[in-house]
Amino acid sequence: MNEGPLIVQSDKTLLLEVDHERAGDCRKAIAPFAELERSPEHIHTYRLTPLGLWNARAAGHDAEQVVDTLLEFSRYAVPHALLVDVAETMARYGRLRLEKHPTHGLVLVSNDRPVLEEVLRAKKVAGMTGARIDDDTVVVHPSERGNLKQALLKIGWPAEDFAGYVDGEAHAIELDETDWGLRAYQKEAAESFWHGGSGVVVLPCGAGKTLVGAAAMAHAKATTLILVTNTVAARQWKDELVRRTSLTEEEIGEYSGSVKEIRPVTIATYQVMTTRRKGVYSHLELLDARDWGLIVYDEVHLLPAPIFRMTADLQARRRLGLTATLVREDGREGDVFSLIGPKRYDAPWKDIESQGWIAPAECIEVRVTLPSSERMAYAVAEPEERYRLASCTHHKIDVVRRLLDQHSGQPTLVIGQYLEQLDEIATALDAATITGATPVKERQRLYDAFRAGEVELLVVSKVANFSIDLPTAEVAIQVSGSFGSRQEEAQRLGRLLRPKSEGRTAHFYTIVSRDTVDAEFAANRQRFLAEQGYAYSIRDADD
Amino acid sequence: MATSSAPGPVTGPATRGNRSLADQLRSWPDERLVGLLRERPDLATPAPADCAQLASRAATRSSLNRALDLLTRLELSVLDALVALSAGGHTSATELAHILDAERAAVESAVRRLLDLALAWEGPTGLRALTGVPDALGSLSGLHPVSGRTPEEAARLLAEVSPAARGMIEHVEAGSGEADAGSARHQIRPADAATPAEELLARGLLVPGRPGLVRIPGEVQIALRGGHTTRERIDVPPGLATSERDADLVDRAAAGAAFDVVRRVELLVDHWGTSPPVALRTGAVGTRDLKAAADFVQLDPPATAFLVELAAAAGLLAPWPDADGNPAWTATDAFDAWCNDPAAARWRRLATAWLSTERLPFLVGTRDDAGKARNALDAHDPGLTSRIAPETRRMVLSALAELPPGQVLATGTGPASVVARLTWKRPRRPPSRADQVVAALAEAAHAGLVALGGLASYAAALLAGDDPADRLTPLLPEEVDEVLIQADLTAVAPGPLSRERARDLHLLADVESRGQATVYRFTATSVRRAFDAGWAAHEVHAFLGSVSRTPVPQPLSYLVDDAARTFGTVRVGHAEAFLRADDETALAEVLHHPRAASLGLRRIAPTVLVSTTPLDVLLPRLRELGVSPLVESVDGTVHVSRPDRVRARPRSTRRTEEARLEGRLAQVVTAVRAGDRVAQNRSPASPQLTPIGSLAALREAVETGRTVLIGYVDNQGVSTERIVDPVRVDGGWLTARDHRADDVRQFAVHRIRSVNPVDVAP
Repeated sequence: MNEGPLIVQSDKTLLLEVDHERAGDCRKAIAPFAELERSPEHIHTYRLTPLGLWNARAAGHDAEQVVDTLLEFSRYAVPHALLVDVAETMARYGRLRLEKHPTHGLVLVSNDRPVLEEVLRAKKVAGMTGARIDDDTVVVHPSERGNLKQALLKIGWPAEDFAGYVDGEAHAIELDETDWGLRAYQKEAAESFWHGGSGVVVLPCGAGKTLVGAAAMAHAKATTLILVTNTVAARQWKDELVRRTSLTEEEIGEYSGSVKEIRPVTIATYQVMTTRRKGVYSHLELLDARDWGLIVYDEVHLLPAPIFRMTADLQARRRLGLTATLVREDGREGDVFSLIGPKRYDAPWKDIESQGWIAPAECIEVRVTLPSSERMAYAVAEPEERYRLASCTHHKIDVVRRLLDQHSGQPTLVIGQYLEQLDEIATALDAATITGATPVKERQRLYDAFRAGEVELLVVSKVANFSIDLPTAEVAIQVSGSFGSRQEEAQRLGRLLRPKSEGRTAHFYTIVSRDTVDAEFAANRQRFLAEQGYAYSIRDADD
Repeated sequence: MATSSAPGPVTGPATRGNRSLADQLRSWPDERLVGLLRERPDLATPAPADCAQLASRAATRSSLNRALDLLTRLELSVLDALVALSAGGHTSATELAHILDAERAAVESAVRRLLDLALAWEGPTGLRALTGVPDALGSLSGLHPVSGRTPEEAARLLAEVSPAARGMIEHVEAGSGEADAGSARHQIRPADAATPAEELLARGLLVPGRPGLVRIPGEVQIALRGGHTTRERIDVPPGLATSERDADLVDRAAAGAAFDVVRRVELLVDHWGTSPPVALRTGAVGTRDLKAAADFVQLDPPATAFLVELAAAAGLLAPWPDADGNPAWTATDAFDAWCNDPAAARWRRLATAWLSTERLPFLVGTRDDAGKARNALDAHDPGLTSRIAPETRRMVLSALAELPPGQVLATGTGPASVVARLTWKRPRRPPSRADQVVAALAEAAHAGLVALGGLASYAAALLAGDDPADRLTPLLPEEVDEVLIQADLTAVAPGPLSRERARDLHLLADVESRGQATVYRFTATSVRRAFDAGWAAHEVHAFLGSVSRTPVPQPLSYLVDDAARTFGTVRVGHAEAFLRADDETALAEVLHHPRAASLGLRRIAPTVLVSTTPLDVLLPRLRELGVSPLVESVDGTVHVSRPDRVRARPRSTRRTEEARLEGRLAQVVTAVRAGDRVAQNRSPASPQLTPIGSLAALREAVETGRTVLIGYVDNQGVSTERIVDPVRVDGGWLTARDHRADDVRQFAVHRIRSVNPVDVAP
């Protein structure tokens, strides 16, 4: 038996003991082919998936290397069946290749004829391929490149894409690192993206994903389309790009509900892209408006379905997805991978925290007991009303008030789902609210005031879930949410994670009604962060 | 002369040739006889009376076949050469070595083995094959009988012939050794030979064989094969296709599989111990049960079938009557003992069982000759067992064991080369052996004897009869009794847990991932399960504290307390009836009434009593006690009770049934009458009609609307006679009203033997 840090389970999970002296080496060695699933405090769980193994093949690792790595770091003997499975899975990659043919354009080529025959007869592939050129080659409709790759992935014969990317219209972009420097992990993320061609970079909130985007643009040196969640985020991107790169304000255009500019670097919102007029997505043409060399998807976990479909047609362009939380309650994480590209970089939150790039945070769940009158109302309520009733209990206002007293002087956000509840809290606490109805200008003003320290308390709805940079926020109090959404929880915590002066710890409170669906949803919401190593402690409101 | 030149080890000391095999056996020391009986156990049962009987038994066809099956390609070739040579007189080991394309030492050891197996013996004129051997052996190398010349003489004669003749004889030799000589003259002197064939015939290089054919004598064949009985070397077994692999890696990978197979067998048998699957009539496990088991152990059905067969072979599973008395596959008592053994010993039991079982688990799920899928543990399917399976497994593993350290079987070509090696070692085994070899390699990998194409060192020890535990134990994960509990409410046991700990944790948490380590997840439901099993909150806390290597995370403690808080908030119980009253004293009075003791009354709230007595008994008893209760019905409304008036409900007579009976009787009568008419009208000899004739007669009957008597042969070949009214004839079918059935029927015209008009009373 060797004293390795890794335990390889026969169900293809890998357990990595974090406190082991070789844990760091092991993490590096298995990262190319195993996907990090959970990283709580003692043992991290990785999983071997076909997708991960194929990505490793794409990156030039072979089955032998994978097997040797597992055997080298494994504490116990590795199940033989798993090794066989790894070898077999990896052998499936690359039997099919997408290539550029000098006369026929995009073609699917195979030197394993039975595989090609099997694939061409598959229902999922029907209609995506054209004429057969010879026994081993078949024409692919260029518009189906993405769909075909996705379909091939689903039937277990992933195609290696040699067709390359279009360079796009060249445009000089340099990082301007005079008074700052790219952090090591940002550089690594940008580089592994560039070498991979397309893909997703997963970094915690507040870890500087914008800069990874900027670095990628500096690699591409081409016109870039950036898709973001909302207008405020678009403005933040613009400011950041002007500050950190050689781009000037004139070179960056905003394409949103209010402004429609198309410049060498254009920042568009998902909302405007998916606006329909008479049943037609009138703005999706923006994607073809210029010969984009790079498309950046901010908060890619929110990618709306129409853009999903459009992206399938954009396979010839380089695509970078950025996110902190690649969990979708609709289970379409796989679509993100197959359309944007595989995960190119992933860093556990706690790792970045230990390096000091994001603030340490304490997560506390506060449980309130519903007064018996409300309990009765809850008990007899219709199922769809129950969550609203439970999460909007008036009791929570008292708790919020007590927490504010505890943290007086610290900039605080109160975040909630239900507008009446937020209004009620805002009135009770005499604070400003920001909701979807608040005009962009007013929002900007309030955010600026908050950043400047003039306002210490903001009551915000889900509009502040994403992409809002509030570096000064130190305390967040969550009073309700969109049911059991894990990524919302993580994103809300993310608002607090910009490093604080004097290395102060952020506090993230969730107020939950005991013995109701509120508590059940809270448990689900916390799973992502708990798996990232955030230890929730639970308190009673009465303490 | 021949015997004296044989080397020492081949002939016994001071042996100068025996008169018979029995004689030779008599001269053998005991251990050599024991060796013979060990290799050919069929000679020992029943115990032969003496060496004569033993010798004669050894020469029987069936016993010879079995013994020949044990020979390698080399040994068979030696025997074959011996047969070929002894036709020409006496033979010695030296001569054999001379004409065999093999090293002398190899031939000598082969001869020794033939003697050991009593397939050959040393007579006065040298080595002799046993009498039955030539027949049993068949024509192995295609050698024809020799005709008294030595191969050297034959070679000299061959050198004389023309190139055309040489080409011709080589061509014949490469084929069957027989040819049609055509018009060539057989009786001719060499000088007169006109054609190549005549040249050969004149020199006796071709001799008359079967009618109309000529053949090449054995010694000429030997000469043509370069002085050897075979065309290729026979003492070199085919090599194995190998590649390099660190022996340590092989051991570790194999031990991983070994641990896995032990764990999964334990999991599966334990599961079947609580819910045994009912055995089919053949004793097999049904496909559905196998699939359920496969889901349970997270394997595919073929791999699960292997586990099931393995467990049964190791005596951990056996059929046993279940609650309904049907035989079901149940864990045996040996299983409990096995579970308490250390992992290495458990593996040994499984591996030994696999090595010696004659069952072929890899065929489960395939279809037999009748096209039926084979089921696991099917005791009635002869296709699922093979007498040579244990030998195959041992030989496959021995082949791997012979590889130098650091060498393993190559991934693609390796198994095929093992097949070739085994074919060399046992050429007489059936071709289906190849499948068994490939399957044995795969199963050995599953069972943890082989990994990455190499034999694990501990498996080699097992094969050699040693205890593998010394080598295996250090490779297996050590038992742990602590787990790491994390804030996301999971716990990881970084190795196999001791059984007691594992049982407690299984109760308290759900298993998320199994393997060498186990991942558990605590949920409110799982914690509640522990409470259901009688744990108290403080016991759970104490257990977690003792089992966790790190401090118990606060969310888990909270979860336990929270579950404890809500546990038992709502209680359910059993009652036959309830009594409620707004007047608490009225209830107290009933409860404490001396005659109420037998009613099983219990107060569960100030205004509610429950009783274990059913309502129909309780009600009169309560009235006896002077209580006048009001009865509530099931939906809570007041129920006014009144004695039921009991009424009998006689069966109504069924008119329809009567009608049906009448109808049937009528049919019977009609049939009887029709039969009578047949008898009446039967002409003494109804003429046999041709189909054309009957067609004509029938058409006429249709035209005239007459009733006819037909002789008809029905589907079962039974000849009947019917009275019918023909309606129409077409397409070879007669449509007619049958008097007997009183219905319109169709008759095949070609089956109608006779047509006779009859007169029917209207």
